[in-house]
Amino acid sequence: MLTFGSIALNWLEQEGANQLVELVLDHGVNHFDVAPTYGDAELKLGPKLRQYREDIFLGCKTQEREYEGAARKIDRSLNRLGIDTIDLYQIHGLEYEDELDTITADGGALDAIREAKAAGKVDHIGLTSHGNPGLILDAIDRIDDLETVMFPLNPVVAGKDGDEYDYEAVLERCEAEGIGTLGIKAFAKGSWPPTDELAEADRPYANWYEPVDTPEDIRERFDFAAARGLDTVVSPGDPKLVKMVLDAASRSAGMDEARQRALIEEARHDDSPVPEQLHH
Amino acid sequence: MSVNGDVPETVTAALADQRVEGRVCLEAGAGVGNTTAGLLAAGAKRVYAVTNDADHAATVRDRIGDRNADRLAVIEADLRATPLATDSVDLVAGHGLCNVLPPAELAPIAAELTRVAKPDGCLVVDDYAVPPADAAVNRLFALENAAARVVDGRPALTFYPPAVLAAVFAANGWSVERRKTLLNPVPWTEAHLDAHAEVVREYAAALPDSLGEPLTAMAEDLVAAIGSERTGTMYSLAFRRADG
Repeated sequence: MLTFGSIALNWLEQEGANQLVELVLDHGVNHFDVAPTYGDAELKLGPKLRQYREDIFLGCKTQEREYEGAARKIDRSLNRLGIDTIDLYQIHGLEYEDELDTITADGGALDAIREAKAAGKVDHIGLTSHGNPGLILDAIDRIDDLETVMFPLNPVVAGKDGDEYDYEAVLERCEAEGIGTLGIKAFAKGSWPPTDELAEADRPYANWYEPVDTPEDIRERFDFAAARGLDTVVSPGDPKLVKMVLDAASRSAGMDEARQRALIEEARHDDSPVPEQLHH
Repeated sequence: MSVNGDVPETVTAALADQRVEGRVCLEAGAGVGNTTAGLLAAGAKRVYAVTNDADHAATVRDRIGDRNADRLAVIEADLRATPLATDSVDLVAGHGLCNVLPPAELAPIAAELTRVAKPDGCLVVDDYAVPPADAAVNRLFALENAAARVVDGRPALTFYPPAVLAAVFAANGWSVERRKTLLNPVPWTEAHLDAHAEVVREYAAALPDSLGEPLTAMAEDLVAAIGSERTGTMYSLAFRRADG
Protein backbone atom coordinates (compact mmCIF):
# COMPACT_ATOMS: atom_id res chain seq x y z
CA MET A 1 0.00 0.00 0.00
CA LEU A 2 2.95 2.34 0.62
CA THR A 3 5.96 3.04 -1.57
CA PHE A 4 8.99 4.66 0.00
CA GLY A 5 10.00 7.73 -1.97
CA SER A 6 13.74 7.41 -1.54
CA ILE A 7 14.35 11.05 -2.42
CA ALA A 8 13.97 11.51 1.35
CA LEU A 9 17.44 9.95 1.75
CA ASN A 10 19.01 12.82 -0.17
CA TRP A 11 18.56 15.14 2.80
CA LEU A 12 20.25 12.77 5.29
CA GLU A 13 23.81 11.77 6.03
CA GLN A 14 24.59 8.14 5.23
CA GLU A 15 24.00 6.92 8.78
CA GLY A 16 20.62 8.64 8.94
CA ALA A 17 19.77 7.28 5.50
CA ASN A 18 20.57 3.74 6.69
CA GLN A 19 18.35 4.21 9.73
CA LEU A 20 15.47 5.52 7.68
CA VAL A 21 15.67 2.52 5.33
CA GLU A 22 15.65 0.19 8.35
CA LEU A 23 12.62 2.01 9.75
CA VAL A 24 10.78 1.75 6.45
CA LEU A 25 11.55 -1.97 6.16
CA ASP A 26 10.49 -2.52 9.80
CA HIS A 27 7.07 -1.19 8.82
CA GLY A 28 6.79 -3.84 6.14
CA VAL A 29 7.29 -1.51 3.18
CA ASN A 30 9.06 -3.37 0.38
CA HIS A 31 8.55 -1.04 -2.59
CA PHE A 32 11.13 1.74 -2.95
CA ASP A 33 11.24 4.41 -5.61
CA VAL A 34 14.28 6.46 -6.59
CA ALA A 35 15.66 8.50 -9.49
CA PRO A 36 19.03 9.74 -10.64
CA THR A 37 17.79 13.32 -10.33
CA TYR A 38 17.21 13.03 -6.57
CA GLY A 39 20.66 14.31 -5.57
CA ASP A 40 22.57 11.59 -3.76
CA ALA A 41 19.54 9.41 -3.04
CA GLU A 42 20.75 6.54 -5.23
CA LEU A 43 24.15 6.49 -3.57
CA LYS A 44 22.70 6.71 -0.07
CA LEU A 45 20.15 3.99 -0.75
CA GLY A 46 22.88 1.71 -2.12
CA PRO A 47 24.30 0.10 1.06
CA LYS A 48 20.98 -0.93 2.61
CA LEU A 49 19.52 -1.80 -0.79
CA ARG A 50 22.36 -4.23 -1.36
CA GLN A 51 22.02 -5.61 2.18
CA TYR A 52 18.30 -6.29 1.70
CA ARG A 53 18.22 -6.69 -2.07
CA GLU A 54 15.87 -9.69 -1.98
CA ASP A 55 13.36 -7.85 0.22
CA ILE A 56 13.10 -4.66 -1.80
CA PHE A 57 11.23 -4.09 -5.04
CA LEU A 58 13.04 -1.14 -6.53
CA GLY A 59 11.63 1.42 -8.93
CA CYS A 60 13.93 3.87 -10.71
CA LYS A 61 13.35 6.22 -13.61
CA THR A 62 14.74 8.43 -16.33
CA GLN A 63 13.87 11.79 -17.80
CA GLU A 64 15.82 10.91 -20.93
CA ARG A 65 13.61 10.63 -23.99
CA GLU A 66 16.05 9.12 -26.48
CA TYR A 67 17.91 5.82 -26.72
CA GLU A 68 21.43 6.97 -25.94
CA GLY A 69 20.55 8.99 -22.86
CA ALA A 70 18.22 6.35 -21.42
CA ALA A 71 20.73 3.53 -21.96
CA ARG A 72 23.39 5.59 -20.23
CA LYS A 73 21.09 6.47 -17.33
CA ILE A 74 20.13 2.84 -16.72
CA ASP A 75 23.78 1.82 -16.47
CA ARG A 76 24.59 4.84 -14.35
CA SER A 77 21.76 4.09 -11.89
CA LEU A 78 22.74 0.40 -11.68
CA ASN A 79 26.27 1.54 -11.00
CA ARG A 80 25.36 4.13 -8.38
CA LEU A 81 22.93 1.76 -6.66
CA GLY A 82 25.44 -1.08 -6.88
CA ILE A 83 22.95 -3.68 -8.13
CA ASP A 84 22.41 -5.78 -11.27
CA THR A 85 18.71 -5.32 -11.89
CA ILE A 86 16.18 -2.55 -11.41
CA ASP A 87 12.78 -4.13 -10.77
CA LEU A 88 10.74 -1.31 -12.29
CA TYR A 89 12.16 1.26 -14.67
CA GLN A 90 9.96 4.23 -15.43
CA ILE A 91 9.78 6.93 -18.04
CA HIS A 92 9.85 9.91 -15.68
CA GLY A 93 7.72 13.05 -15.78
CA LEU A 94 6.01 12.67 -19.14
CA GLU A 95 4.51 16.05 -19.92
CA TYR A 96 4.04 16.58 -23.66
CA GLU A 97 2.70 14.58 -26.56
CA ASP A 98 5.87 15.14 -28.58
CA GLU A 99 7.89 13.58 -25.78
CA LEU A 100 5.75 10.50 -26.08
CA ASP A 101 6.45 10.51 -29.83
CA THR A 102 10.18 10.65 -29.19
CA ILE A 103 10.10 7.97 -26.49
CA THR A 104 8.12 5.51 -28.58
CA ALA A 105 9.88 6.20 -31.90
CA ASP A 106 12.79 4.17 -33.25
CA GLY A 107 15.82 5.30 -31.29
CA GLY A 108 13.63 6.43 -28.42
CA ALA A 109 14.10 5.80 -24.70
CA LEU A 110 11.75 2.80 -24.81
CA ASP A 111 14.13 0.95 -27.14
CA ALA A 112 16.87 1.34 -24.54
CA ILE A 113 14.62 0.21 -21.69
CA ARG A 114 13.39 -2.81 -23.64
CA GLU A 115 16.93 -3.70 -24.55
CA ALA A 116 17.90 -3.45 -20.87
CA LYS A 117 14.93 -5.65 -20.05
CA ALA A 118 16.10 -8.27 -22.53
CA ALA A 119 19.55 -8.08 -20.97
CA GLY A 120 18.13 -8.59 -17.47
CA LYS A 121 18.98 -5.09 -16.25
CA VAL A 122 15.32 -4.10 -15.92
CA ASP A 123 12.39 -6.29 -14.97
CA HIS A 124 9.27 -4.16 -15.58
CA ILE A 125 8.46 -0.95 -17.45
CA GLY A 126 6.50 1.97 -15.99
CA LEU A 127 5.63 5.63 -16.50
CA THR A 128 5.33 8.66 -14.23
CA SER A 129 3.52 11.89 -15.04
CA HIS A 130 1.78 14.78 -13.42
CA GLY A 131 0.79 15.95 -16.84
CA ASN A 132 -2.49 15.68 -18.63
CA PRO A 133 -4.37 12.45 -17.83
CA GLY A 134 -5.24 12.22 -21.52
CA LEU A 135 -1.54 11.97 -22.29
CA ILE A 136 -1.18 9.12 -19.79
CA LEU A 137 -4.07 7.32 -21.47
CA ASP A 138 -2.33 7.83 -24.83
CA ALA A 139 0.84 6.37 -23.38
CA ILE A 140 -1.09 3.32 -22.15
CA ASP A 141 -2.46 2.90 -25.68
CA ARG A 142 0.93 3.28 -27.30
CA ILE A 143 3.18 1.32 -24.91
CA ASP A 144 1.97 -2.28 -24.91
CA ASP A 145 4.43 -3.48 -22.29
CA LEU A 146 3.66 -0.69 -19.80
CA GLU A 147 3.03 -2.25 -16.38
CA THR A 148 2.72 0.69 -13.97
CA VAL A 149 1.83 4.38 -13.97
CA MET A 150 2.54 6.96 -11.27
CA PHE A 151 0.39 10.12 -11.10
CA PRO A 152 -0.99 12.69 -8.61
CA LEU A 153 -4.06 11.94 -6.53
CA ASN A 154 -5.41 13.88 -3.55
CA PRO A 155 -8.73 15.49 -2.55
CA VAL A 156 -7.96 18.73 -4.43
CA VAL A 157 -7.30 16.92 -7.70
CA ALA A 158 -10.22 14.53 -7.17
CA GLY A 159 -12.66 17.44 -6.79
CA LYS A 160 -11.84 19.05 -10.12
CA ASP A 161 -13.91 18.04 -13.11
CA GLY A 162 -11.82 19.27 -16.02
CA ASP A 163 -10.31 16.65 -18.30
CA GLU A 164 -6.89 17.95 -17.27
CA TYR A 165 -7.59 16.60 -13.75
CA ASP A 166 -9.34 13.39 -14.72
CA TYR A 167 -6.92 10.95 -13.15
CA GLU A 168 -9.97 8.89 -12.20
CA ALA A 169 -10.12 7.90 -15.87
CA VAL A 170 -6.50 6.76 -15.62
CA LEU A 171 -7.34 4.70 -12.53
CA GLU A 172 -10.24 3.05 -14.32
CA ARG A 173 -8.22 2.25 -17.41
CA CYS A 174 -5.37 0.83 -15.34
CA GLU A 175 -7.75 -1.34 -13.41
CA ALA A 176 -9.30 -2.62 -16.63
CA GLU A 177 -5.90 -3.39 -18.15
CA GLY A 178 -4.18 -4.74 -15.07
CA ILE A 179 -1.70 -1.87 -14.90
CA GLY A 180 -0.34 -0.99 -11.45
CA THR A 181 -1.07 2.48 -10.05
CA LEU A 182 1.17 4.56 -7.80
CA GLY A 183 -0.13 7.83 -6.31
CA ILE A 184 2.03 10.89 -5.77
CA LYS A 185 1.21 14.25 -4.14
CA ALA A 186 -1.19 12.47 -1.78
CA PHE A 187 0.19 14.64 1.04
CA ALA A 188 0.29 17.95 -0.84
CA LYS A 189 -1.54 20.79 0.86
CA GLY A 190 -0.83 23.46 -1.73
CA SER A 191 1.85 25.56 -3.32
CA TRP A 192 4.46 27.24 -1.17
CA PRO A 193 3.91 30.97 -0.67
CA PRO A 194 5.68 33.12 -3.31
CA THR A 195 9.44 33.34 -2.69
CA ASP A 196 9.24 37.05 -1.84
CA GLU A 197 7.03 36.03 1.10
CA LEU A 198 8.88 32.85 2.03
CA ALA A 199 12.36 32.35 0.62
CA GLU A 200 13.08 28.86 -0.67
CA ALA A 201 15.77 28.50 1.98
CA ASP A 202 13.22 29.24 4.70
CA ARG A 203 10.77 26.51 3.77
CA PRO A 204 10.39 24.00 6.61
CA TYR A 205 10.11 20.98 4.31
CA ALA A 206 12.09 19.76 1.34
CA ASN A 207 9.00 19.02 -0.74
CA TRP A 208 8.45 21.23 -3.76
CA TYR A 209 4.89 21.75 -2.53
CA GLU A 210 3.69 22.57 0.97
CA PRO A 211 2.77 19.25 2.59
CA VAL A 212 0.21 18.43 5.27
CA ASP A 213 2.24 17.78 8.38
CA THR A 214 0.13 16.67 11.33
CA PRO A 215 -0.41 12.97 12.12
CA GLU A 216 -4.19 13.39 11.68
CA ASP A 217 -3.94 15.10 8.30
CA ILE A 218 -1.34 12.65 7.05
CA ARG A 219 -3.44 9.70 8.12
CA GLU A 220 -6.48 11.18 6.44
CA ARG A 221 -4.59 11.84 3.21
CA PHE A 222 -3.13 8.35 3.15
CA ASP A 223 -6.52 6.77 3.78
CA PHE A 224 -8.08 8.94 1.08
CA ALA A 225 -5.50 8.06 -1.58
CA ALA A 226 -5.62 4.37 -0.71
CA ALA A 227 -9.43 4.37 -0.79
CA ARG A 228 -9.53 5.81 -4.32
CA GLY A 229 -8.17 2.52 -5.62
CA LEU A 230 -4.44 3.16 -6.02
CA ASP A 231 -2.26 0.10 -5.63
CA THR A 232 0.24 2.10 -3.64
CA VAL A 233 0.79 5.59 -2.27
CA VAL A 234 4.26 7.12 -2.53
CA SER A 235 5.61 8.67 0.68
CA PRO A 236 6.53 12.37 0.60
CA GLY A 237 10.05 13.53 -0.14
CA ASP A 238 10.91 15.06 3.21
CA PRO A 239 12.36 12.57 5.73
CA LYS A 240 10.67 14.39 8.63
CA LEU A 241 7.29 13.26 7.29
CA VAL A 242 8.15 9.65 6.52
CA LYS A 243 7.68 8.32 10.05
CA MET A 244 4.19 9.83 10.28
CA VAL A 245 3.30 8.36 6.91
CA LEU A 246 4.56 4.91 7.98
CA ASP A 247 2.38 5.14 11.08
CA ALA A 248 -0.59 6.25 9.00
CA ALA A 249 -0.17 3.35 6.59
CA SER A 250 0.29 0.85 9.42
CA ARG A 251 -2.91 1.97 11.09
CA SER A 252 -4.97 2.54 7.97
CA ALA A 253 -8.51 1.26 8.28
CA GLY A 254 -9.87 2.51 4.97
CA MET A 255 -12.18 5.43 4.34
CA ASP A 256 -15.85 5.28 3.39
CA GLU A 257 -17.21 7.27 0.46
CA ALA A 258 -19.08 9.86 2.56
CA ARG A 259 -15.82 10.79 4.23
CA GLN A 260 -13.91 10.85 0.95
CA ARG A 261 -16.53 13.26 -0.39
CA ALA A 262 -16.19 15.38 2.77
CA LEU A 263 -12.47 15.85 2.07
CA ILE A 264 -13.12 16.66 -1.57
CA GLU A 265 -15.82 19.18 -0.63
CA GLU A 266 -13.57 20.80 1.92
CA ALA A 267 -10.78 21.19 -0.61
CA ARG A 268 -13.18 22.45 -3.28
CA HIS A 269 -14.22 25.36 -1.10
CA ASP A 270 -10.61 26.26 -0.39
CA ASP A 271 -10.31 27.51 -3.92
CA SER A 272 -13.74 27.66 -5.44
CA PRO A 273 -14.34 29.48 -8.72
CA VAL A 274 -18.05 29.60 -7.87
CA PRO A 275 -19.55 32.35 -5.66
CA GLU A 276 -19.58 31.64 -1.97
CA GLN A 277 -22.53 29.58 -0.97
CA LEU A 278 -24.34 28.21 2.03
CA HIS A 279 -24.37 24.65 0.84
CA HIS A 280 -22.24 21.73 -0.19
CA MET B 1 -17.75 17.81 -18.07
CA SER B 2 -15.84 20.98 -17.33
CA VAL B 3 -18.05 23.19 -19.46
CA ASN B 4 -20.33 23.68 -16.47
CA GLY B 5 -17.66 24.19 -13.83
CA ASP B 6 -16.88 21.65 -11.17
CA VAL B 7 -19.85 19.61 -10.08
CA PRO B 8 -19.65 18.87 -6.36
CA GLU B 9 -19.12 15.25 -5.43
CA THR B 10 -22.25 15.45 -3.29
CA VAL B 11 -24.31 16.13 -6.42
CA THR B 12 -22.53 13.50 -8.48
CA ALA B 13 -23.03 10.92 -5.75
CA ALA B 14 -26.72 11.78 -5.32
CA LEU B 15 -27.36 11.47 -9.07
CA ALA B 16 -25.09 8.48 -9.67
CA ASP B 17 -27.88 5.89 -9.48
CA GLN B 18 -30.52 8.04 -11.21
CA ARG B 19 -31.46 7.94 -14.87
CA VAL B 20 -30.61 11.44 -16.10
CA GLU B 21 -29.58 11.04 -19.72
CA GLY B 22 -32.27 12.12 -22.12
CA ARG B 23 -34.66 13.07 -19.34
CA VAL B 24 -36.44 16.27 -18.39
CA CYS B 25 -35.14 17.40 -15.01
CA LEU B 26 -35.94 20.07 -12.46
CA GLU B 27 -33.59 21.55 -9.91
CA ALA B 28 -35.83 22.89 -7.15
CA GLY B 29 -34.09 25.80 -5.45
CA ALA B 30 -31.22 26.32 -7.86
CA GLY B 31 -28.75 28.18 -5.63
CA VAL B 32 -25.59 28.59 -7.70
CA GLY B 33 -26.77 25.81 -10.00
CA ASN B 34 -24.57 22.96 -8.82
CA THR B 35 -27.23 20.33 -9.40
CA THR B 36 -28.22 21.93 -12.68
CA ALA B 37 -24.59 21.61 -13.77
CA GLY B 38 -24.56 17.99 -12.62
CA LEU B 39 -27.79 17.17 -14.47
CA LEU B 40 -26.51 18.78 -17.67
CA ALA B 41 -23.18 17.00 -17.35
CA ALA B 42 -25.04 13.72 -16.93
CA GLY B 43 -26.84 14.28 -20.23
CA ALA B 44 -30.23 15.65 -19.22
CA LYS B 45 -32.41 16.49 -22.23
CA ARG B 46 -33.69 19.61 -20.50
CA VAL B 47 -33.17 21.17 -17.09
CA TYR B 48 -35.48 23.64 -15.40
CA ALA B 49 -33.55 25.52 -12.72
CA VAL B 50 -36.21 27.04 -10.51
CA THR B 51 -35.44 29.64 -7.86
CA ASN B 52 -37.28 32.53 -6.24
CA ASP B 53 -34.01 34.43 -5.83
CA ALA B 54 -33.13 36.81 -8.67
CA ASP B 55 -29.43 36.80 -7.75
CA HIS B 56 -29.32 33.02 -7.85
CA ALA B 57 -31.10 32.99 -11.18
CA ALA B 58 -28.55 35.44 -12.58
CA THR B 59 -25.67 33.37 -11.19
CA VAL B 60 -26.97 30.19 -12.79
CA ARG B 61 -27.50 31.97 -16.13
CA ASP B 62 -23.99 33.45 -16.03
CA ARG B 63 -22.30 30.28 -14.96
CA ILE B 64 -24.12 27.70 -17.01
CA GLY B 65 -26.71 29.31 -19.25
CA ASP B 66 -24.69 30.51 -22.23
CA ARG B 67 -23.18 27.16 -23.06
CA ASN B 68 -26.40 25.25 -22.54
CA ALA B 69 -29.02 27.63 -23.90
CA ASP B 70 -30.77 24.82 -25.75
CA ARG B 71 -31.10 22.59 -22.70
CA LEU B 72 -31.47 24.95 -19.74
CA ALA B 73 -34.33 27.15 -18.63
CA VAL B 74 -33.72 29.26 -15.53
CA ILE B 75 -37.09 30.11 -14.04
CA GLU B 76 -37.72 32.66 -11.33
CA ALA B 77 -40.74 31.36 -9.48
CA ASP B 78 -42.09 30.43 -6.09
CA LEU B 79 -41.69 26.69 -5.63
CA ARG B 80 -45.24 26.54 -4.28
CA ALA B 81 -46.57 27.64 -7.66
CA THR B 82 -44.27 27.09 -10.62
CA PRO B 83 -45.27 27.77 -14.23
CA LEU B 84 -44.36 24.18 -15.19
CA ALA B 85 -46.94 21.87 -16.69
CA THR B 86 -48.47 19.04 -14.69
CA ASP B 87 -46.80 15.62 -15.22
CA SER B 88 -43.93 17.14 -17.22
CA VAL B 89 -40.73 16.29 -15.32
CA ASP B 90 -38.92 12.94 -15.21
CA LEU B 91 -36.54 13.76 -12.37
CA VAL B 92 -36.94 16.35 -9.62
CA ALA B 93 -33.88 17.20 -7.53
CA GLY B 94 -33.76 19.34 -4.39
CA HIS B 95 -30.16 19.56 -3.20
CA GLY B 96 -29.72 21.50 0.04
CA LEU B 97 -33.18 22.98 -0.50
CA CYS B 98 -35.27 21.89 2.45
CA ASN B 99 -33.04 23.36 5.14
CA VAL B 100 -33.87 26.86 3.89
CA LEU B 101 -37.61 26.12 3.92
CA PRO B 102 -39.61 26.84 7.06
CA PRO B 103 -41.79 23.89 8.13
CA ALA B 104 -44.97 25.57 6.88
CA GLU B 105 -43.62 25.69 3.31
CA LEU B 106 -42.56 22.05 3.11
CA ALA B 107 -46.00 20.59 2.43
CA PRO B 108 -47.07 23.02 -0.33
CA ILE B 109 -43.70 22.72 -2.06
CA ALA B 110 -43.80 18.92 -1.87
CA ALA B 111 -47.30 19.07 -3.40
CA GLU B 112 -46.14 21.34 -6.24
CA LEU B 113 -43.08 19.20 -7.02
CA THR B 114 -45.37 16.19 -7.08
CA ARG B 115 -47.77 17.96 -9.45
CA VAL B 116 -45.06 18.68 -12.04
CA ALA B 117 -43.47 15.22 -11.78
CA LYS B 118 -44.58 12.56 -14.20
CA PRO B 119 -46.41 9.64 -12.58
CA ASP B 120 -43.37 7.42 -13.20
CA GLY B 121 -40.96 10.21 -12.28
CA CYS B 122 -38.20 10.19 -9.71
CA LEU B 123 -37.32 12.55 -6.89
CA VAL B 124 -34.00 13.10 -5.15
CA VAL B 125 -33.86 15.14 -1.95
CA ASP B 126 -30.48 15.86 -0.38
CA ASP B 127 -30.12 17.70 2.89
CA TYR B 128 -28.36 18.07 6.19
CA ALA B 129 -29.23 15.99 9.20
CA VAL B 130 -29.71 17.95 12.41
CA PRO B 131 -26.17 18.94 13.47
CA PRO B 132 -24.94 17.41 16.73
CA ALA B 133 -25.95 19.44 19.80
CA ASP B 134 -22.33 20.32 20.61
CA ALA B 135 -21.50 21.61 17.11
CA ALA B 136 -20.06 25.13 17.16
CA VAL B 137 -21.82 25.99 13.89
CA ASN B 138 -25.14 25.77 15.76
CA ARG B 139 -24.33 29.10 17.37
CA LEU B 140 -24.00 30.80 14.00
CA PHE B 141 -27.14 29.09 12.67
CA ALA B 142 -29.06 30.17 15.78
CA LEU B 143 -27.97 33.76 15.28
CA GLU B 144 -28.98 33.57 11.62
CA ASN B 145 -32.41 32.27 12.63
CA ALA B 146 -32.83 34.96 15.27
CA ALA B 147 -32.06 37.67 12.70
CA ALA B 148 -34.42 36.07 10.19
CA ARG B 149 -37.25 35.83 12.70
CA VAL B 150 -36.91 39.47 13.71
CA VAL B 151 -36.93 40.66 10.10
CA ASP B 152 -39.11 38.12 8.30
CA GLY B 153 -40.94 36.36 11.08
CA ARG B 154 -39.63 33.02 9.79
CA PRO B 155 -36.46 31.02 10.35
CA ALA B 156 -33.66 31.07 7.81
CA LEU B 157 -32.63 27.48 8.45
CA THR B 158 -34.39 24.34 9.62
CA PHE B 159 -32.60 21.01 9.67
CA TYR B 160 -34.95 18.11 9.03
CA PRO B 161 -34.14 14.53 9.94
CA PRO B 162 -34.46 12.25 6.88
CA ALA B 163 -37.53 10.58 8.40
CA VAL B 164 -39.34 13.92 8.43
CA LEU B 165 -38.69 14.63 4.75
CA ALA B 166 -39.56 11.02 3.91
CA ALA B 167 -42.90 11.53 5.68
CA VAL B 168 -43.62 14.85 3.96
CA PHE B 169 -43.11 13.33 0.52
CA ALA B 170 -44.83 10.09 1.50
CA ALA B 171 -47.93 12.19 2.11
CA ASN B 172 -47.76 13.03 -1.62
CA GLY B 173 -47.44 9.43 -2.70
CA TRP B 174 -43.65 9.09 -2.79
CA SER B 175 -41.79 6.22 -1.19
CA VAL B 176 -38.10 6.15 -0.34
CA GLU B 177 -36.25 3.87 -2.70
CA ARG B 178 -32.72 4.58 -1.56
CA ARG B 179 -30.96 6.39 1.27
CA LYS B 180 -27.30 7.40 1.08
CA THR B 181 -24.90 9.42 3.23
CA LEU B 182 -23.36 12.10 1.04
CA LEU B 183 -21.06 13.71 3.60
CA ASN B 184 -19.84 12.45 6.93
CA PRO B 185 -18.68 14.72 8.40
CA VAL B 186 -19.92 17.90 6.73
CA PRO B 187 -16.99 20.28 6.20
CA TRP B 188 -18.21 23.75 7.21
CA THR B 189 -15.35 25.73 5.73
CA GLU B 190 -14.52 29.37 6.26
CA ALA B 191 -16.27 30.10 2.95
CA HIS B 192 -19.49 28.47 4.17
CA LEU B 193 -19.38 30.26 7.51
CA ASP B 194 -18.75 33.57 5.72
CA ALA B 195 -21.76 32.91 3.51
CA HIS B 196 -23.91 32.35 6.60
CA ALA B 197 -22.52 35.52 8.21
CA GLU B 198 -23.44 37.33 5.01
CA VAL B 199 -27.06 36.22 5.48
CA VAL B 200 -26.98 37.73 8.97
CA ARG B 201 -25.53 40.94 7.49
CA GLU B 202 -28.35 41.13 4.96
CA TYR B 203 -31.00 40.78 7.66
CA ALA B 204 -29.13 43.25 9.87
CA ALA B 205 -29.21 45.81 7.08
CA ALA B 206 -33.00 45.81 7.33
CA LEU B 207 -32.87 46.65 11.02
CA PRO B 208 -32.06 49.85 12.90
CA ASP B 209 -28.32 50.19 13.47
CA SER B 210 -28.77 49.75 17.19
CA LEU B 211 -29.96 46.20 16.54
CA GLY B 212 -28.28 45.42 13.22
CA GLU B 213 -24.75 46.35 14.19
CA PRO B 214 -24.46 44.07 17.22
CA LEU B 215 -25.99 41.20 15.19
CA THR B 216 -23.40 41.67 12.47
CA ALA B 217 -20.60 41.93 15.01
CA MET B 218 -21.78 38.73 16.69
CA ALA B 219 -21.84 36.88 13.37
CA GLU B 220 -18.33 38.04 12.53
CA ASP B 221 -17.05 37.09 15.97
CA LEU B 222 -18.59 33.63 15.60
CA VAL B 223 -17.03 33.08 12.19
CA ALA B 224 -13.64 34.08 13.60
CA ALA B 225 -14.10 31.90 16.68
CA ILE B 226 -15.28 28.81 14.77
CA GLY B 227 -12.84 29.12 11.87
CA SER B 228 -14.08 25.92 10.29
CA GLU B 229 -15.72 22.79 11.63
CA ARG B 230 -16.39 19.27 10.50
CA THR B 231 -19.64 18.09 11.99
CA GLY B 232 -22.90 16.35 11.19
CA THR B 233 -23.92 14.55 8.02
CA MET B 234 -25.56 15.29 4.68
CA TYR B 235 -27.93 12.64 3.35
CA SER B 236 -29.67 11.84 0.09
CA LEU B 237 -33.11 10.28 -0.31
CA ALA B 238 -34.25 8.94 -3.67
CA PHE B 239 -38.00 8.50 -4.07
CA ARG B 240 -40.33 6.84 -6.51
CA ARG B 241 -44.09 7.37 -6.77
CA ALA B 242 -45.71 4.51 -4.93
CA ASP B 243 -48.34 4.30 -7.67
CA GLY B 244 -45.86 4.96 -10.49
